[in-house]
Amino acid sequence: MNDGRSTSGSQTSLREANRGRIVEAVKRFGGLTQVELAEATGLSTATVSTIVKELTGAGVVDTHTTSRSGRRATRVTIARRVGLVAGVHVGHRHLRVALSDLGLEVVADQQLPLPSDHRVDTTLDRTALLIVDLLERVGADLDELLGVGVALPAPVDSATGMISVRGTMRGWDDLHIGQVLSKRLARPVFVDNDANLGALAEHDLGAARTHSDSVYVRVSYTTGAGIILNDHLHRGFAGTAGEIAHVQVDPQGQICRCGNRGCLDTVTGEAALLGLLRTSHGDLTLRDVVTLCREGDPGCNRAVADAGHRVGLVVAGLVTVLNPQVVVVGGELARAGDTLIDALRETMSRQALPNRIAPLEVVASELGDRAEMLGALALARRETDVAHDEARRRKMDARPGEEVTTP
Amino acid sequence: MRRSTTPALSLHGIDKAFGPVQALSGVDLDVHAGEVVALVGDNAAGKSTLAKIVAGVLSPDAGLIEVDGRPVTIPSASVARSLGIASVFQDLALCENLDVVQNLYLGQELRRGRSLDEAAMEDRAREILRSLTSRIPSVRTPVSVLSAGQRQTVAIARTLLGDPRLVVLDEPTASLSVSQTAEVLTHIESLRDLGHAVILISHNMTDVRAVADRVEVLRHGRNNGSFSSAGASYEEVIAAITGASRPTAVAG
Repeated sequence: MNDGRSTSGSQTSLREANRGRIVEAVKRFGGLTQVELAEATGLSTATVSTIVKELTGAGVVDTHTTSRSGRRATRVTIARRVGLVAGVHVGHRHLRVALSDLGLEVVADQQLPLPSDHRVDTTLDRTALLIVDLLERVGADLDELLGVGVALPAPVDSATGMISVRGTMRGWDDLHIGQVLSKRLARPVFVDNDANLGALAEHDLGAARTHSDSVYVRVSYTTGAGIILNDHLHRGFAGTAGEIAHVQVDPQGQICRCGNRGCLDTVTGEAALLGLLRTSHGDLTLRDVVTLCREGDPGCNRAVADAGHRVGLVVAGLVTVLNPQVVVVGGELARAGDTLIDALRETMSRQALPNRIAPLEVVASELGDRAEMLGALALARRETDVAHDEARRRKMDARPGEEVTTP
Repeated sequence: MRRSTTPALSLHGIDKAFGPVQALSGVDLDVHAGEVVALVGDNAAGKSTLAKIVAGVLSPDAGLIEVDGRPVTIPSASVARSLGIASVFQDLALCENLDVVQNLYLGQELRRGRSLDEAAMEDRAREILRSLTSRIPSVRTPVSVLSAGQRQTVAIARTLLGDPRLVVLDEPTASLSVSQTAEVLTHIESLRDLGHAVILISHNMTDVRAVADRVEVLRHGRNNGSFSSAGASYEEVIAAITGASRPTAVAG
């Protein structure tokens, strides 16, 4: 933490720490009055007032006059230029919705637990309402929202916003998900696969940001991979690129939801994993398995390690074909300590084609459970016009002489 | 996930009548530590009566109550509290004019010598709200300015003060917005992760299936089915609630 700075404990570093605390509190609560901010940070109201003034001047926060229990108060929110984008991650057992500005600075974030096999109508309805609720929380109007990115745990045809393989999400097959949401919110909505968006986020902001070719492997209720080639997300023609859950690993195995036989998902998916543990541990959820692994439960660690080996075998094939510089491992099971990533790394070092010029790196996700949500925000930003212009400008600043377009 | 084989609370053959109305007849219910059990049923199925028996507000006419395997009687709410059973009813029972800390500690204030130990109460209040990942910025905010969801949070936080083994929540998401529902459901997940046993009474099947490990159906005061939340479909549970199906093999 204290990276050898000699001034620690001095006035300057104290002030810096206090600024940090205030910015963090504003981010956490979305918007706060100065009095609440003093309470939340434990700083005096005078200190808060001074620092808020500085931060307003620096363009970090915005202040608005409001009233709290009949009295005038100053409400502090994170400053946002141009507008906001929303990122939605629809998981198997949770929904996560976040708002950010175009710098991908998250200003509001909320999770909602979902039932297994949740219904498409209820979930999309709740998504739209949550976005509106979060906008209200940060004191913004719907017309400040420029676009919405949605991450789904299924292959998505990004042209139509429909799931491109039947049966991967029960009951979600026949709906134009993007269209339904954009009709509700009257805003553009962009839908993509969660592993693809995780790959995008890790490439833009996370563990793969210094690499041009990377693979993001998401091991969760199901398994998926997102492929970045030459700094571009490779979706495939209809969005099924990287669907490693449906690579055959056992010709004599069970029939998969997709209709084929012995897919990786029938061996390492949620149902298979929990089924392995039912005799010894009773009914568990995937969250329980992660918790137990961290507590050092041998049975759960064995189940996750074996899953890691099976996934590693498939990813080794993918890596041999694509030759990325780095494989980033994310998803719920990646949070079960080092068990999953160690197993993956071991199998891949044995199975993937050894490369003596640039040996493959296998690393843990840097963005953790926020990766897919941040990817959805990044997608919304990329696809939104203003964002597009800004990104293009930034790119030109960074790499002069490349992609010069006259406005 | 179940943290022990002995249920934290076990009810056997509970009967309760109000004059000619048989509210409960022969009801069984087990809840383990680290487990969320949802109690669902139509209006007047006996859900709230059962919750009030567990909370010590009503006494059963017959039946056996066990806490951690020991038979007990719960004649009053304070006995329930001393047994480690905390309840949040629909009306929440919060004082509008008091702030969050005062509400949490009402009637059980911490003292240092002759005066109240405000600092200790504030610290503990902050700690509990943080463990529930709550969004209430200040523990000195009067309850009157909090949203419905934040009030529910305060009521849940109050139950955690005595580190209870069982928390009973009666319709915690009724009349809440989606983001408030999201917060309350996240709290219920945290309660489970902290190793508490939870009884959740709700009408909302989506909320129930999102956080419960097991769904117990009551119909006209009788058990009418027990479902593992992961395996049960909406249709099966709703069939049991409406009486379209009878309980078959009741899985523990």
